[in-house]
Amino acid sequence: MSTTRPGPATDGPAIEAENLVRTYRTHLGVMRRRSLDVEAVRGVSFEVRPGELFGLLGPNGAGKTTTIKMLITLLLPTSGTARVMGYDVVRDTAQVRRRIGYVFGGERGLYDRISGLDNLRFFAELYGVEPDAQGPRIAALLDLVGLTGREGEKVEGYSRGMRQRLHIARGLLHDPPILFLDEPSLGLDPVGARELRRTIADLVAAGKTVLLTTHYMFEADALCDRIAVINGGRIVASGTGSDLKAAVANRTIVEIETYGVTDEAVDRLRADPDVIAVNTEDQDQSQVLLVQSERGTEITQRLIQHLGDTRIGKIAAREPTLEDAYVHLIATTGDADGSAARAAAVAE
Amino acid sequence: MSGLLAAARSNARHVARVWQFTMKIFMISDFFILTAVVQPIIFASIAYFLFEIGGDAAGEQTLLYAALGTGMMGVWSTTLFGGGGAIAWQRWEGTLELLVSAPRRYDLTLLGQTLATATFGFWSMIATLAWGVLLFGMPLNANYPLLLPVALLAAIIGLGVMGMLLGTTFVLYRHANALSNLLEYPVWIATGMVVPLALLPVWLGPVSWVLVPTWGMAAIRGAAIGTEPPWLAIAMNLVLAVAYYLIARRVLVHVIDKARRDATLSLA
Repeated sequence: MSTTRPGPATDGPAIEAENLVRTYRTHLGVMRRRSLDVEAVRGVSFEVRPGELFGLLGPNGAGKTTTIKMLITLLLPTSGTARVMGYDVVRDTAQVRRRIGYVFGGERGLYDRISGLDNLRFFAELYGVEPDAQGPRIAALLDLVGLTGREGEKVEGYSRGMRQRLHIARGLLHDPPILFLDEPSLGLDPVGARELRRTIADLVAAGKTVLLTTHYMFEADALCDRIAVINGGRIVASGTGSDLKAAVANRTIVEIETYGVTDEAVDRLRADPDVIAVNTEDQDQSQVLLVQSERGTEITQRLIQHLGDTRIGKIAAREPTLEDAYVHLIATTGDADGSAARAAAVAE
Repeated sequence: MSGLLAAARSNARHVARVWQFTMKIFMISDFFILTAVVQPIIFASIAYFLFEIGGDAAGEQTLLYAALGTGMMGVWSTTLFGGGGAIAWQRWEGTLELLVSAPRRYDLTLLGQTLATATFGFWSMIATLAWGVLLFGMPLNANYPLLLPVALLAAIIGLGVMGMLLGTTFVLYRHANALSNLLEYPVWIATGMVVPLALLPVWLGPVSWVLVPTWGMAAIRGAAIGTEPPWLAIAMNLVLAVAYYLIARRVLVHVIDKARRDATLSLA
C-alpha cells in the first residue's frame, strides 16, 4: 500500500510550523534520581514565504535553536507539525533534507586538520552533488563567501569569520532553495559580522528563502523581511521591523551614561509615574540606563534628580529602535508563569 | 533496472569517497598512527621474545604465524576504537548532526568511515611484518601469494563492517569507552590471534565462528602459511560482513530515531 505524500509546494509557504511543542527530559540527583521535563518550545506557529528572509529573534534559551532543529529534521517535535516546501519534517526527512541547507554559529562542525577545500569536497559528496559539478560549484561558493585563494589552507588556521563563511559555503553546496542560519554571527568581530550580513543579503537577492535566528536586534532589523520574537518557548510578537517598532513608537528613549549606579537609584527611576520602563546595559566602566517614557514628556531633569549622587556621563534622548521594541517585548512578555512552570519535576 | 544500477553505482561511489576522505584524516591523526603502527611493534617484539624463550623461534612459519597474529591484534584495536567510537567521535566534533541531516544515507557514510578505519588498521600488519624482517630476520613468503590480497581485502571488509556494528551499538551506551577496553583482549584470544583456536576450550568455538576477525585471521594466515587455499575463510568474512551490515543498519535506524527523540545528536 502506498501512502500519498504532499508534493513540493510551488505557491504555498516555504516553511510552515503549526503549534510546535518540544519537551526535553533531563535528570537530577544521584541517590534520589528525579527526571525533569523542560518545555523548550511551547506551541510555536509561523509561516515563511518563498524568497523571504524571516528572522526568529529571542534571548538565549528562548527556543530558537530547538525550533530550527525540529524544522531541519534533527529533532522530533513532542507535538505539532511542520512542513518544508510541503514535506512533513517527521515523515519525509529525505525530501526535506534535499531541499535545505543548515548553518550554525560557533567553532564546531568542520574538520580542522584538513583544508577548507577538502572539507567542501567531502560535504559535496554527502550532499549528493554530482561529481562533475563539484569543482565548479565549490569554486563559485568560495568566490561567493570570499574564501578564494585561502581554500588550500588548513581550517585550524582560519579565523572565526572565515570558518563561518566556510560553513555557509558548505550549507549551499547542493544549492538548496531554503537555508537555515542559526546564530551565524555568533562570536564574529564587527567586520566579520558585516561581511556575513552582506553574504546573507546576496543569498536572498539570489532567490533563497532564509530562516535566520539571532539575538542581535540590529542584525534582524538590517536583514529580515519579517521577524518573529520568541520568548520562553512562545512567539510573543511577529511582523516587519516597523510593525514591531510601532509598539514603542509613541515613546522617547533617554540614554543616561552612569558610573556606579545603585539598584536603589534605578528603582527610584522606575517609580517615577512618567517612566514606562528602565533597562540597564553594563559596559566596561559604566552602565547605560535606557529610560522609556511617553513621547513629548520632558523628564530629563527629574531623572537626574532621581539618580542623586550617581556620577553621570552623557545624556541623550532619541527615537526608539527595534532593540527598544525587543527589550520592551521581552520585558513585558517574559516567562510570565516563570521558568519553573516550563520545568515540571517528576520524581522517579 | 538501470535505475537500480545507477543507485548502486552512486552508493558505491559515495562509500569510496568517504573511505578516501577518512583515510586522509587518519593519516594526519597522531592517535591513530600510534595505535596502528607503534603499538603493534611493541606487541610483535613481546611475541617474538616469548616464542624465542619457548624455544620455538627456529621455525620460520612459526615466526610468520606470530607476526601475522600480532599484526592482526593491532588491526582489531584500531577497528574497535576507531569504528566503535566513530559515532561518539562525530558527536563530539559537532559533525554528527551534519552527517545525519545530509541528503546521503548515513549508514553508507558510516560504512565508508569504518571501512577506512579497518584499512588504516592494516598498517599494523605492515608495521609488524617490517619489524619482524628488520629485527628478527623473518623471511617473507606466502604459500598462496595471489590469494593474499584477496584475503586482506576480505578481512578489511569484514572488520570494517564489524566496526560499523560496534559503533552503532556502542552509541546506545553512555559508557561505551569502557566497553571498548573490555572487548580488546578477549577478542585477541577468542579469534586465534594470540594462540591457535585448537588450544581453546570447545565451548568457545561457536563464539569464535561468529566473530569476523576469526575468519580474517584464518584467511590471511591461510594465504601466507596455509596448506590449502583459504576460500572458506574468505567466504565467511564476506557472509558475516553482510550479516553484520544488515544488523548495523537496523540498529542505526533505531539509534538515529532515538537520538532525534532524546535530542542527543549534538553535545551543544
